Amino acid sequence: MLVVDRVHKSFGKHAAVRGVSFDLPRGQVVGLLGPNGAGKTTTIRMITGFLPPDQGRVLVDGHDTLDDSAAARRSIGYLPESAPLYPEMSVRGYLEYRGRLFAMPRRARKVAVDRALTRCWLSEVADRRIGHLSKGYKQRVGLASALLHDPPVVILDEPSNGLDPTQISETRRLIAELGQTHTLLISSHILPEVERTCTRVVIIIRGVVRADGTPSDLIARGTGPARITLEVRTADDSLLRGTLGSIPGLSFGSAVPTADGWSSVTLLQQSGTDAREAVAASCAAKGIPLRALARERSTLEGVFLSLLESGEAREASA
Amino acid sequence: MIGPACVAWAVARREFSSFFRIPLGWIIIAVFSLFAAAIFCSMTLRSGQVATMRAVFAWAGWLLWPLVPAVSMRLLAEEYRTGTIEPLMTSPAGDYAVVVGKFAGAMAFVACLIAPTLVLVAVLAALSSPAPDAGPILAGYLAILLTGSLYLSLGLLASSLTNNQTLAYLLAFFGILGVLTLPQIALSAVPPNASWDWARTTLASLNVNARIVDFARGVIDLSHVTFFITTSAVLVLLAGVGLESRRWR
Repeated sequence: MLVVDRVHKSFGKHAAVRGVSFDLPRGQVVGLLGPNGAGKTTTIRMITGFLPPDQGRVLVDGHDTLDDSAAARRSIGYLPESAPLYPEMSVRGYLEYRGRLFAMPRRARKVAVDRALTRCWLSEVADRRIGHLSKGYKQRVGLASALLHDPPVVILDEPSNGLDPTQISETRRLIAELGQTHTLLISSHILPEVERTCTRVVIIIRGVVRADGTPSDLIARGTGPARITLEVRTADDSLLRGTLGSIPGLSFGSAVPTADGWSSVTLLQQSGTDAREAVAASCAAKGIPLRALARERSTLEGVFLSLLESGEAREASA
Repeated sequence: MIGPACVAWAVARREFSSFFRIPLGWIIIAVFSLFAAAIFCSMTLRSGQVATMRAVFAWAGWLLWPLVPAVSMRLLAEEYRTGTIEPLMTSPAGDYAVVVGKFAGAMAFVACLIAPTLVLVAVLAALSSPAPDAGPILAGYLAILLTGSLYLSLGLLASSLTNNQTLAYLLAFFGILGVLTLPQIALSAVPPNASWDWARTTLASLNVNARIVDFARGVIDLSHVTFFITTSAVLVLLAGVGLESRRWR
């Protein structure tokens, strides 16, 4: 449905995007992650046809964004970051205008406008001026205009910007609903949001794709250390270090005494399989009473930060 | 309507109606009407004067000079500044359909800007005997519209080159000044001998003022009409190039 094939884009001497490739099959909800200046917006602008790539190509529903630009753009619904709109227009007037730009016939346009107003919870402000609306409502107007012509590919740049928690939850529901029938590419800084709404994540750092996979795959492949926490009935630090620090793949973090005479211990697992079984066995062998043992689940945020740090280290050494 | 025509129509409609939703549009209409009425009262509405609108038409070109850049400055510069250019250019709208739509919408506004002067024609017809000749009046309105179209296309080109409205206004203002004065200044510098006749002919053909004066006299010369329409079309086309160039800059 959407193919991004080795696209490059430079602004003067600055290479903003360097050979980014990924493809999105129908019905997939993909999160595009990256720090500020990573090349996310430039990549999105090349996909939407706003900027031409210096090299490479983008196909939207089979249409090349350069050779068959109008057809490619007709296949995309796009919500740019900060949802730029005309403040002097009414919500309905703006959506009517967008419908005309997409050459929708009058009757189909009216149906589409009413559907978009309902879908994005805008019916009650349909006749209000956009300039008089709150940021959250403006964001929804931008979303409604992206969905108006029912495109097969929807691209949302920071869709939760300026929304309150209720609206974020409604947007999440809408994204899940759209994901059933549309291909969605969502750029966001809110990593838990992406983890929750996207079936796949593409991480771009310094103009290069550094990771691509499902959130659970990326977390499983994560390069950051996992934390194992346990509670044992001993305050003997050297015993704990000797017992737990010698387990392969583990390093001793800290031991903090609790009020009831136990100690809360943190271990760091650098690599390898889950070490909880080995920890429990070592404690039993040394006769150390154990009442809690847990392995902290890695998060997408951890993976993202770890990739970011390794990317920066690589750039620094280059 | 299909394709580019549909897009141009949509953009023209939005542009035209937006002028009436912002104070600037009403201020421009008020200023033009006020000055046109003042010229009419002081130079036309006097006993013994011939019943013509010639004075109003002769001054209209000068009135439009500072006002049309105020209309044109926001056409594309505002879209660049606010970021609305992004959803516009990622719709199926082509660059040239957008500039044609912008020009058509703003031109319709310029026509509305001039429309209140029809009241002056009605006053003239009511007060003068014999009634004023319709020919020169129609020619005068055609002259104002063609002049407005030339200024507007120059302003659209200026607006396509920057995201700063003030700069777009100044570019258009001094651009129009150049169009109005440079051919005459250059003409005065051409040596009077016969070998420079080609230069004199060329510069004379670029003299916009002379064409406006002809119209005000009631002369509808096809070469004048062709000059204004062709020049405006070329400038609108160049504005399309200006818009397109933003993708590559």
